[in-house]
Amino acid sequence: METFIIQFLNGLVFSMLLFVMAAGLSLIFGQMNVINLSHGAFYLLGGYIGLSMVRQFENFWLSLFLAPLLVAGLGLLIEYFLLRRMYGAHRHLDQVLLTFGLALIAADLIRWNWGAYVESVDPPPQLAGQVAVFDIQFPLYRLSLIGFGLLLALALWLLIGRTRLGAIIRAGVSDAQMVSGLGINIQLVFAGVFALGTALAALAGVIGAPVLNLYPGLDFEILILTLVVVVVGGLGTLKGAFLGSLLIGMADTFGKALWPQFALFFIFAVMAVILLIRPSGLAGLKGT
Amino acid sequence: MSQKSSSQLTRRQFLKVAGVTAAGLAATPLLSACRSVASGPVKIGVLLPYSDIYAVLGESITDAMRMYFEEVGNEAGGRQIELITEDTEITPDVAQQKARKLVEQDEVDLVAGVVSSGVLMALRDYFDSSKKLLICANAGANPISRSLKTPYIWRTSFTNWQPNWPVGTWAAENVGKRAYISVPDYAAGENTITAFTNSFEAAGGEVIGVQRTPFPNMGDPAPFIAELADAAPDLVYAFYSGGAAVTFVKAYGEFGLAGKIPLMSSGFMVEEDVLPAEGEAALGVFSGLHWALLLDNPENKAFTAAYKERTGRDANVFAVQGYDTARVIVEMLNRVEGDTSDVQKMIDALPGISFDSPRGPFKMDAKTQNPSQHIYLREVQEVDGELHNVVIEDLGEITDPGDDSLG
Repeated sequence: METFIIQFLNGLVFSMLLFVMAAGLSLIFGQMNVINLSHGAFYLLGGYIGLSMVRQFENFWLSLFLAPLLVAGLGLLIEYFLLRRMYGAHRHLDQVLLTFGLALIAADLIRWNWGAYVESVDPPPQLAGQVAVFDIQFPLYRLSLIGFGLLLALALWLLIGRTRLGAIIRAGVSDAQMVSGLGINIQLVFAGVFALGTALAALAGVIGAPVLNLYPGLDFEILILTLVVVVVGGLGTLKGAFLGSLLIGMADTFGKALWPQFALFFIFAVMAVILLIRPSGLAGLKGT
Repeated sequence: MSQKSSSQLTRRQFLKVAGVTAAGLAATPLLSACRSVASGPVKIGVLLPYSDIYAVLGESITDAMRMYFEEVGNEAGGRQIELITEDTEITPDVAQQKARKLVEQDEVDLVAGVVSSGVLMALRDYFDSSKKLLICANAGANPISRSLKTPYIWRTSFTNWQPNWPVGTWAAENVGKRAYISVPDYAAGENTITAFTNSFEAAGGEVIGVQRTPFPNMGDPAPFIAELADAAPDLVYAFYSGGAAVTFVKAYGEFGLAGKIPLMSSGFMVEEDVLPAEGEAALGVFSGLHWALLLDNPENKAFTAAYKERTGRDANVFAVQGYDTARVIVEMLNRVEGDTSDVQKMIDALPGISFDSPRGPFKMDAKTQNPSQHIYLREVQEVDGELHNVVIEDLGEITDPGDDSLG
């Protein structure tokens, strides 16, 4: 029983990390109908920028704030100069080619700048301790990730569900032309959402680094995980991203605990089953 | 009259042409002999991982190889030495493509390298059928010295059995009788399990569980650590290397198991390349390996100092293996006087090679095509403010049995 609770906590930690990653992708998918395969690259870039900042300024909190801002800036540039030309469902293939190409370029640039070794980041000193949970000393940093994920979920929920901006975003998900017809600058909203999505990816990279480390190749692993979460949970909704993260996070953790050799396969098996039962995901919008 | 003169000219012309042709034919074997012997550099294909978890291993081996070649003026057997490096990406498919490229496109004289046991197993048939010599600088897959031995693959490193087997006995006698094993799910992990289990159980121990984690990247290590804590063994015996070692050992410390359940491994998990990143969590870990940074012999002292000056980092076992690989290649080339045209001649030159290496006396065992060497029991201790592996016992000279009788 105790091991179950420990593993449940582990699952919750991983779920919250997945949620921070998936929220951004789900927003971009859902709001702009854009397939962004460079999401993993933004995660890794955020993580590495965080690493450099921690080394330079010896302050984790600073990198937590600055890295997402920098990456969001990059996201805005990409949106304005490159992505803006290819909106619309009929341009999905172009979006795939563009964002995948960007991901490959980013991967090489990252490797060129930071090297090919596996880098690890220490959690901030304030969160470096442990909390006794039964016989185990559970790292405080991981517990704080649970709290952080829940807070972020709440903040995003309030933003999307309770603010005018959120209403515009939700309306844009349903019918972008109509929103534009109401006189709202939909281009600006798109750009803002894309920036927010990439900022969230970078944020995930910074907070995930003490848990998953940083290395070339992680970007594509994260991309696959996030795509699975978003597809399982349902495209376009925050609730979907949250549910998907919980399911996949738990599946990964308990898969590793019970069948370590099949752990990699287990997540995809879960995804296949969910898609068979509910093709648009657990909480997805019908028709996505 | 015109007919007579033209035929005279034709005959003269014919004789000229015939004379030149005959001379040319006679000279050709002479010319080609000059071409194949002592002309043009010896091209050595270097097949190593330069990315992902084993990147630092690939770079350490390459740095040390270049260091040795430079020490001998980049020349052996009367010819210059040229290295062509390719990244295996720890992936068997990619490694096969790169091996083909080196052998068939670049037409290298021999290949050196290979870190991952999985890659070595995948390349075994290619080198065997293409009759190209591979000097393996790391990968310890047991079958290559046993059931799948081929005359074209020789090792300067170890078999996975070597650093694990003698430690099983030591662990049962000095640490505890109930062990839980944690390894990555590929060839090297399997070899670790069989070797350790064989001697550990022979000495009265019991392996209460085995955990195989996804290879090369295990993702979040927390669930695996939690399982180890739950099993509460007397000791955990693990094998991880490179980036995976950092992930595992750090998580072991984060969850409070370091110092609570003794952690042991084959030396790679706490080698000098990963110790700085692992930090405090690695303190007190016991490991077995055929070398240690602080091993006290003149070759090692010279080697470690030169390596540190060249790269700014402490030497590690992979560098030692790279260094010895370069030396074996040079000695072989000297023995065949630079003649790389006959692979059998090169192979015949290998068994007799012996010299003093940083790891001690280097003896190539002809039967297993792998070194016979001492295995040292080390403990991670703080030495002058830094963490290093200190030799606490010499477990004797260990030679691979050449079959699976001992695991």
